[in-house]
Amino acid sequence: MEPLRWMKRWQKRLRSLVRTSAVDRELDEELAFHLEMETRKHLRAGMTPQEASREAKLAFGALGQHRGDTRDARWLAWFPDLSMDFKLGGRMLVKYPGLTLVGGLAMAFGIWAGAVTFEMVTMLQNPRLGLPESDRIVQLRNYDVQERRAESRSLHDFLRWRESLRSVSDLGAYRDIERNLEVRGGDGRPVQVAEISASAFLLAPTKPLLGRTLSAADERAGAPPVAVVGYEIWRSRFASDSAVVGRSVQIGGVYATVVGVMPEGFAFPVSHELWMPLRVDGLDRSPRVGPAISMFARLAPGATLEEAQTELALIGRRTAAELPQSHQNLQPQLLQYAKPFDAPSGDLLMALAIPGFAVMLLVLVCGNVALLLFARAATRENELIVRSALGASRARIVVQLFAEALVLGGIAAAIGLAAADFGLRRWGGPFLKENMGTLPFWYQPQVSAATVLYAIGLTLLAAVVAGVLPALKVTSGMGARLRQTAAGAGGLKFGGVWTAVIITQVAFTTAFPALVFLEQRMMVRVQTFEAGFPTEQYLAAFLEPGDAPAEGAYVSADVAREKEGLLFQTDLEAVRRRVLAHPAVMGVAFIDRLPREGHRESLVELDEAQGLSAAVPATAGDGSEVIPKAPLNEVQTAYVDASYLDLVRAPALAGRLLLPGDLAPESRVVVVDQGFVDQVLLGRNAVGRRVRFAHRGDGAGSMSDNTRPWYQIVGVVKELGMGAPTQRGRAAGVYMPVVPGVKGPTNMMLHVRGDPLTIIPDVRAAANAVNPTLRLPSIQRVDQVTSGVMWVLKLWMRMTVLLTAIALLLSLAGIYAVLSFTVSRRTREIGIRVALGANARRVVVSLFKRPLTQVGIGVAVGGAMAGAFLVWIMSCQDGTCTDSGLVTPVRVAVLVLYLLLVLGVCLLACIVPTRRALAVEPLVALRAE
Amino acid sequence: MSPTPIKPPAAPNDVLRGTLDLLILKALSLESMHGWAISQRLEQLSRDVLRVGQGSLYPALQRLEEKGWVDSAWRATDQNRRAKYYELTRAGRRALGVEAESWQRYVSMVDVILRTT
Repeated sequence: MEPLRWMKRWQKRLRSLVRTSAVDRELDEELAFHLEMETRKHLRAGMTPQEASREAKLAFGALGQHRGDTRDARWLAWFPDLSMDFKLGGRMLVKYPGLTLVGGLAMAFGIWAGAVTFEMVTMLQNPRLGLPESDRIVQLRNYDVQERRAESRSLHDFLRWRESLRSVSDLGAYRDIERNLEVRGGDGRPVQVAEISASAFLLAPTKPLLGRTLSAADERAGAPPVAVVGYEIWRSRFASDSAVVGRSVQIGGVYATVVGVMPEGFAFPVSHELWMPLRVDGLDRSPRVGPAISMFARLAPGATLEEAQTELALIGRRTAAELPQSHQNLQPQLLQYAKPFDAPSGDLLMALAIPGFAVMLLVLVCGNVALLLFARAATRENELIVRSALGASRARIVVQLFAEALVLGGIAAAIGLAAADFGLRRWGGPFLKENMGTLPFWYQPQVSAATVLYAIGLTLLAAVVAGVLPALKVTSGMGARLRQTAAGAGGLKFGGVWTAVIITQVAFTTAFPALVFLEQRMMVRVQTFEAGFPTEQYLAAFLEPGDAPAEGAYVSADVAREKEGLLFQTDLEAVRRRVLAHPAVMGVAFIDRLPREGHRESLVELDEAQGLSAAVPATAGDGSEVIPKAPLNEVQTAYVDASYLDLVRAPALAGRLLLPGDLAPESRVVVVDQGFVDQVLLGRNAVGRRVRFAHRGDGAGSMSDNTRPWYQIVGVVKELGMGAPTQRGRAAGVYMPVVPGVKGPTNMMLHVRGDPLTIIPDVRAAANAVNPTLRLPSIQRVDQVTSGVMWVLKLWMRMTVLLTAIALLLSLAGIYAVLSFTVSRRTREIGIRVALGANARRVVVSLFKRPLTQVGIGVAVGGAMAGAFLVWIMSCQDGTCTDSGLVTPVRVAVLVLYLLLVLGVCLLACIVPTRRALAVEPLVALRAE
Repeated sequence: MSPTPIKPPAAPNDVLRGTLDLLILKALSLESMHGWAISQRLEQLSRDVLRVGQGSLYPALQRLEEKGWVDSAWRATDQNRRAKYYELTRAGRRALGVEAESWQRYVSMVDVILRTT
């Protein structure tokens, strides 16, 4: 069709939709013209005007009918009637409040789940910076392709790139440091400081609340030290003092003047709360030397990301040619800001899988709502048949039922979205922080416009599932049913699909408690997982190495790490001495991970020469494979200093505890715990045995590597919270003595008199005094270690209980609907049977047969699912049944009671309709239908 | 056997179901005209045998317009009266050829059957 005609046709179609009254007036005019012409014809034939008019009208027939027929032939002729359908839909919601409540709740839940998952996934996949032209803000870094790690000592390259890169502008850098902020009249507390280029405030242009932001002049050497503080610090540390600008504060070892306060929410570059100028003049600019920095920039006007990447790669190759020693393995990279450089490859799958799961959940939930709507539509079958007989097409009836479901879905979507927004704002941030450590400013969980669009899509899908499917079922073969109904036969029936929906729902309702059991068990384990010493008397400070002094020339990452390690060890000892001088501190020791925090896992090998292999099963767990080597088991290793076991007052059950002399690299001794003795040594004597450790894999340090050193077990202690409480089974613990700091960041544990939390400022001050760059990201009481895990578990628990309650409610509503429907269908039959003297019990049995079968199958399937799940959880590995405690007689009794409850409540749902049926008077029954 | 004479339909609206569209297309193939003129043209062409009721005519016109086979526009008649004129589109002309051929085939098939039984 030629485009002009095509456009004209669509214009007419749209006009008939939106300007119905004008189009109707034209139709009236056209029909009136026809009548007039017909009258004139009769006048010409010699009739009188009255006769002509009468004759024309007779020939014309019913004007209203013609008008209606013509209107029905229009494109989407039913569309203008939709508003009426929506009104009817609204009335239906009021008329059936039970259905509205259950169906609406179910749909709201489905949409809530979909919106939350979609928001979280899109937020993580495509973070929105919320800055002007945020898609043009980029990050840059160097990547060592040989060491397969980012090289952050890039000051040399930063300066070079700033000079030469043309495809980016405002190139800046920052150092991420934690410093104690000392405010007069308050204690020193650590804050997240960004030593940052002033261009950051061009990339993230934000008007300061007070004073000014950093300027290029502040970056010059010799300029007075200045700081810009964040809103939260200004509020909490400066008591929202409006005269803060100009005040002098101590930040780490530096006195700086506050020059500005940023508004609430500003945390560029990541989650920072205080900004100081990055002064490159005083730093070592040699290649691959100097502090760790991160870089950011804006794409120059007209430049694309690809062009910038190409230009950077070119510069990178040029630098590598000039400085092969330091740069031959370095690859400069450039990416959009906030996008992870090392995104795992499964991201796309995750991005599709999670919303996919939400859609499946919604379809399942709406399947049930469909069941309810179908049951209701079935009770309205006569109304629908009459409409059909009056000429309403099948599509018209389907649209009406769709509109009804859409009204319900619309209200449910509003509720679901509101709940999602509330939940995301309240729990989304803490949840991400719990999992990620820090929460970058671009993650602000709340319902976005994209999520609202997604929810609208979900609502339409929900309305299709819940409205159109039942409508299609109700309207199929309507003509035939009209005849059948007239002949007295039954009409609609619940088919296999509905049976499957009910069975699935009951099955899930039944199986959910297994999940609750597991979560509850986990919570109990977390709460009761004993550390073996009074953890509430201990304080733990996690210490990370401070900045290493600048190197004169390039050294490899390994050498740099080693130097940094040595400095860290010295710092730790100095901090220990200072803290020990505190009157409330009774002892200090170091351990890499805290008790109940989960420790490093490794494989242990026993010295075969000591004749232990016979004591350990020589076959694998499934009995299929004979293990040719020495017996193995997985153990948890804690790296501790020699005084740790003394600090936690753990007596030696056998042998001795660790001694300072054990720290020497050549001493090679370990202490094991009772879990090790029981599980690895199967109760045999441990002291004097030799063991060595390996990791899984084929390279150095793996089981096949025979150069690994042997360690001698010198003592046994009781179990002291090795492993994580969420970990399955009992841990086998090994305490390996190391000099504090050798294995990187470590926990300093202090035994404190009185409340350990009161000495936190003193601990920070001690660390600050030793080295202001030492970082203490967390200080907590040792019994608080599990509070984060508990928070997440409680959140999951609440969600599972909510899910179970909704599933149960839906199942009950579904069963009730089906039974009500069945009874109303069979009212006449039941009435006659009762009238003829049938035993009420037999009538009830015949009625109950179907729902009972459905519920029975559902409970059986759900029970089997729960059982399989529990068996899987308890599955024995390496000969040890790790979770045998999950199935206790009490739990089995609770589960059986729950199953009976489900069954009982389902039967309760049957009682009302059955009583109604049995109370039917035979005469009324005969008149039914 | 001689062919059975078919009685002309006596009542209006007796246009064989499915053929009205074809007849309208044929009527419009000569010139554009309004609804009443179409009904008159069909009566005239069928020598007053076929009578097209308004109850069928206007929905059929609406249908044909919807299919893109006819187009409509308001114009003044010779007596300077406003009327809605229908005309055949190019697609409508093509459709007329196809429909007419299909009808001829149908008629000849029916004819063959009637002759052989």
